[in-house]
Amino acid sequence: MKLLKIAVAAATGLALLGGTALADDKPVVGLIMKSLANEFFQNMMVGAEEHQKRRGDYELKAVGMQNETDFESQINAVENFITQGVDAIVVAPADSRAMVRPLKKAMEAGIVVVNFDVALDEEAKKQQGVELAFVGPDNRGGAKLAGDALGKKLGEGGNVVIIEGNPGADNATQRRLGFEDSVAEYKLDLLDSRTAHWETEEANQVFATMLTAHPDIQGVMAANDSMAIGVVKALESAGRTDIEVVGFDNIPAVGPMIEDGRMLATVDQFGTDMAANAIDMALDVVSTGEQLQGWVKTPIELVTAK
Amino acid sequence: MTTETLSETAAAAPKFSIRTVLHNAGIGLALLALIVFFSLFTEHFLTPNNITNILTQITINLVLAVGMTFVILIGGIDLSVGSVMAFAAVVAGKAITLPGFGPAEAIALAVVAATLTGVFCGFLNGAISAYWSLPSFIITLGMLNIARGAALQVSEAQTIYSFPFAFEEFGSAMIYGVPVVFLVALVLVFIAWFVLNFTVFGRLIYGIGNNEEAVRLAGHSVARYKIAAFTICGLTAGIAAVVYMARLNISSPIAGIGFELNAIAAVIIGGTSLSGGRGSVIGTLLGAFIIGVLANGLILIGLSDFMRQMITGVVIIVAVILDYYRAKYAAK
Repeated sequence: MKLLKIAVAAATGLALLGGTALADDKPVVGLIMKSLANEFFQNMMVGAEEHQKRRGDYELKAVGMQNETDFESQINAVENFITQGVDAIVVAPADSRAMVRPLKKAMEAGIVVVNFDVALDEEAKKQQGVELAFVGPDNRGGAKLAGDALGKKLGEGGNVVIIEGNPGADNATQRRLGFEDSVAEYKLDLLDSRTAHWETEEANQVFATMLTAHPDIQGVMAANDSMAIGVVKALESAGRTDIEVVGFDNIPAVGPMIEDGRMLATVDQFGTDMAANAIDMALDVVSTGEQLQGWVKTPIELVTAK
Repeated sequence: MTTETLSETAAAAPKFSIRTVLHNAGIGLALLALIVFFSLFTEHFLTPNNITNILTQITINLVLAVGMTFVILIGGIDLSVGSVMAFAAVVAGKAITLPGFGPAEAIALAVVAATLTGVFCGFLNGAISAYWSLPSFIITLGMLNIARGAALQVSEAQTIYSFPFAFEEFGSAMIYGVPVVFLVALVLVFIAWFVLNFTVFGRLIYGIGNNEEAVRLAGHSVARYKIAAFTICGLTAGIAAVVYMARLNISSPIAGIGFELNAIAAVIIGGTSLSGGRGSVIGTLLGAFIIGVLANGLILIGLSDFMRQMITGVVIIVAVILDYYRAKYAAK
């Protein structure tokens, strides 16, 4: 019964988020996130809520998705925000092409749109005649930071494999490209590259098998930390301590692994602040009318043992 | 009256066994063919390390599939096991990281928490679908969402980590190269095999799948056995959660997405009929092996992820077609 209550409460909460009347004249910001089942976006959402309390001069309406591929609900969220007449929409698109048209509609309705986290596709923007800046980290550059750390450690000719995120997801593609940049720059030998769908258990299985096929692996580039944890566990069961692992996201669970050397490095893109920063920029545009230009890069940092 | 029907059911048992043996021989041959194929075409497939890997890799699916066998045998389905596993893992993760307990107490607490959570969800699945005579497909689809939401709610979508060292030890322990977690799964298979073949309860599970009305008319409470089957399925999801935690040393609320489909696939490839009443847990064991061997071997061969996914799909369909012919010839 308690479960049911929680479910009902969650459902009502979502409905309220979508339906509250806009009472005072504070600007209203609609925040559209990706899957809140993802630790990264959950933290981002909490960061945004805290930011709203701290600033206090705007109203925040936040919506997430059920899962990473639920594009439809993001499109609906944009349409709902247009109907409600919010002042700004701050959006982390789940799909870099599908979101262009609905966001164009929002801009035509006079809403300030800020695109953060994942950049909208340039081609799609051109086709729709949309000019929109991007606020966010360089996923490719970030992955290259991690890849470079691995390249420096292994030296030229090191044998590496990549554990990819969901095929077709933009950040997964960007991170893979970043790793491949490092492979090219450090003349590493890329033995295999496979997806584990961002998930620990799958990464554990897939990597254990890759290690059997290529016992001479020296380094692993995992496109997120959840998968890096699965890789580290596979190395522990295989009794291998000679293989270096890099990840991405800097989730708390990898802290101890980086400290004791089971992982070489991860990349922090300060996800907690990312939505909050994008909201700041959106509010600036609302008050000054000055549009953002090009790519506003947000900080990324390589995290290694101190 | 009751005893008469029971002896009738028992009398039907040997016929079943012969058919079961034939079934399993077929699946066993398919598995053997795969093993021969991969040993010929990859150099590492039959190495001790890789065999250990395969055993580890199939363990969670096998544990889930054992419980799923009970549910499918009564003609039901449980779509919630992946989510229930994640929910159980998260509840147990919260329990194991509670301050103020020694490692042994913390682990015991986690095991109890995981199994109770699984049993609770399974019981709800069974009770609701039995009481209102609703299709388990839709009830467990509801539970899939409830349990996943609950897992995210309880964990606040964060990965729980830092478990006692002894727990990790258990997860990676081996006896002669066989992972201890796999032995746990084998024990479950054995218990399930015994229960299904040599107890009244087990024969009635088959009976319900074959002819629910007959079992009801014979004076048995069909609802009670249905609830039991779903509760067993929930229990195995809880046990799978413990295995997951011990192996990976984390509890992730997004664990186990899609695991229900793999578990169902193992049961069906193992020759258990989706309409219930026919099949065996030994088949399920072989089915889990086929899926595991395929996943492992296709990576070793160097096939791309997308091709691998396609081939796994083809194997499921071929297995069901073969089952169609088996059923047809068995009926003659």
